[in-house]
Amino acid sequence: MSTESTTGSTPTASALLESLQRTGYLADEDLATTVWLAGELQRPLLLEGDAGVGKTALAQALAQVQGAVLVRLQCFEGLDLAQAAYEWNYGRQLMAIRLHDGQPGSVKASDVFSRDFLLERPLLKAISQDGPCVLLIDEIDRADEAFEAFLLEVLAEYQITVPEIGTLRARHIPRVILTSNGTRELSDALRRRCLYHHLDYPTLAREIAIVKSALPEADTRLVEDAVQFVQRLRHEDLSKTPGIAETLDWVRALYRMNHHTLPEDMAVLLTTLGCLLKTREDRFALGTDRARQLVEGRRTVGVAEKVPAHAVAS
Amino acid sequence: MSLQPALAPSEALAGFAALLRDHGLTVGVAEQQAMLQAALRLGGLREAPVRAAWRAIACHSAREWRLWPDLFDRYWHPERLRGTVRVSGQMRPARDLRQSVQQMHEQMQEQTGSAQQPPSTAKSGPHTAADAPPSGAGDSDPGSPRAMGGASRHAPQVEALHRRDGQMWLPQELGELQRLARQITARLRPLPTRRWQARQPGQRLDLRRTLRRSVAWGGEPLAPAWQVRREEPPRLFILADVSRSMEAHAALFLRVARAFAQAAQARVFVFHTRLAEVTPLMQRDSAAVQEKINAVTAGFGAGTRIAASLQDFARVHARAQLRRGAYVWVMSDGFDTDEPAQLADALQALRGHGARITWFHPTRTLPAAAALQGARGHIHRCVPLASLADLAAARHLLH
Repeated sequence: MSTESTTGSTPTASALLESLQRTGYLADEDLATTVWLAGELQRPLLLEGDAGVGKTALAQALAQVQGAVLVRLQCFEGLDLAQAAYEWNYGRQLMAIRLHDGQPGSVKASDVFSRDFLLERPLLKAISQDGPCVLLIDEIDRADEAFEAFLLEVLAEYQITVPEIGTLRARHIPRVILTSNGTRELSDALRRRCLYHHLDYPTLAREIAIVKSALPEADTRLVEDAVQFVQRLRHEDLSKTPGIAETLDWVRALYRMNHHTLPEDMAVLLTTLGCLLKTREDRFALGTDRARQLVEGRRTVGVAEKVPAHAVAS
Repeated sequence: MSLQPALAPSEALAGFAALLRDHGLTVGVAEQQAMLQAALRLGGLREAPVRAAWRAIACHSAREWRLWPDLFDRYWHPERLRGTVRVSGQMRPARDLRQSVQQMHEQMQEQTGSAQQPPSTAKSGPHTAADAPPSGAGDSDPGSPRAMGGASRHAPQVEALHRRDGQMWLPQELGELQRLARQITARLRPLPTRRWQARQPGQRLDLRRTLRRSVAWGGEPLAPAWQVRREEPPRLFILADVSRSMEAHAALFLRVARAFAQAAQARVFVFHTRLAEVTPLMQRDSAAVQEKINAVTAGFGAGTRIAASLQDFARVHARAQLRRGAYVWVMSDGFDTDEPAQLADALQALRGHGARITWFHPTRTLPAAAALQGARGHIHRCVPLASLADLAAARHLLH
């Protein structure tokens, strides 16, 4: 292996990177390579990371890039097969039986247990697509372990077994993206079937680029200052760290309030912080002084201001 | 002219996979094949994409994700390695020449001694419930040099070396420990949730599902569906101090932690100046667990930063899992190189997440460390743990 690490990804991965960029999703090269590889190896991709780092958005952007149908399965506690894969349409089955009731050749079991009477839920829907499809299994850590075990068949073989009909295989292998917030440890079996990528909060430059591409009309100075503030805020001990969506909300709010830079008046700034801080404790922890320190952090304050603050505290 | 043949790519990859496995990553044949395939498809020897692709294949969790850059460089670019990190480490990262010579002499003495003695029960494990010396007087006295932690190092260290080969656990002791772990786990309160889950038979009729099922029989509820309240297993986090002052006790702590990792799916961390998760090493049944943990902690420097480690634990490692009803067990003597007040703050933050903190200390009474004394108010329970017998005695307190 050459020791020279080159900056560019492979042609195909970089093409994917560019097309993701065109849809407004700014991925880094590693992520683009991983997504591309998942397609090449036909393996599901497991994305982990804090809430608001762009896990779900990646699936949406990928579907847009590939012109694919996005099928989304939102996981929750108690999710079962009937809600995730398929269910028999009992109503239609009964109706079919009643309709054929008086007729000479009565209805056979195979008549009512056919594909027509099957209600497609997200997993089956993704498997039976004729064209390209992106299957997003969102927040898999919220689902039960039993459901995780069921997923293994779907993810490894891209097939679902319906006892009355047989095994339904995918006509077109869907691109599968699983996301997890890490509230529960996923099983090793599931992890091993997937490629893994841990999404972290974006770097300063990338986040500025993301906000600029989402809000091109906002002032550059405002975007840069606001993103710097959020980046510093993430180092604070918060119970809910603001994600990219929160940054976008905040910049949008400031823009709508006709600010071209961060407001000098801390009272105004604090009123808009509801976009970033979503719990009472976090809001309480960030007072006027702390907010000012965070805003002015770029001008190497700290020392002069920390001393009196420290003295007051002690 | 004979040229030494270069290592085949698959062999080099196998060596890399072995290194990854040593650090707890699950890299089997399937992963290696995928890695080769990825390298082929990436169609070149450019490092950045291969590195990213292999990372996606070999890593399966956030812990492994964080380990990756270091492991990759360690194997493919040993020249970039900083001098402090070693591939496989001993327990003591830095030791001066005099100490090394002393250690060598002791080892030689012990070897000759053990050659003369029959290897049977000459030195039975000091951690047995029956003859546990720490529960006697002597070293477990809080006023004794051991309790002063890093302050007085010489006497405990000799003893630690002596103890090291006495750490052979008899199968019945291991069985006893596992039984204890299961008993204690059963007593930990499961987390009740507001949710109901389907179960036959259950406490409550699931009306919606019953009606839905009855459609299949034309509206007759022939197969009622039932529900029970859903309970989550208790979340247990064990943080074991493996600093020098705890050297003599770390082995016992790790044994206990391992028993709980297997019985209660506890997540296990070790710390002295930094915190590292060792859960995957604990869940695997291997004789060389201690060695591997040594390797993980080899880069750690001197001192014990309990408060910083606890903060790191709460903010990074267990961020999403620390909730109401989580159990955090800290196994340490409480001698902290951070400011004493920081420990109280760190513990308070942990409690703020709703965790119940139990502090296991190797001495009879709570160590006199200022940090620990100051933080006493935030600790739910303090339990002495110097032997298996102590754990057995404490089993009624741990719930």
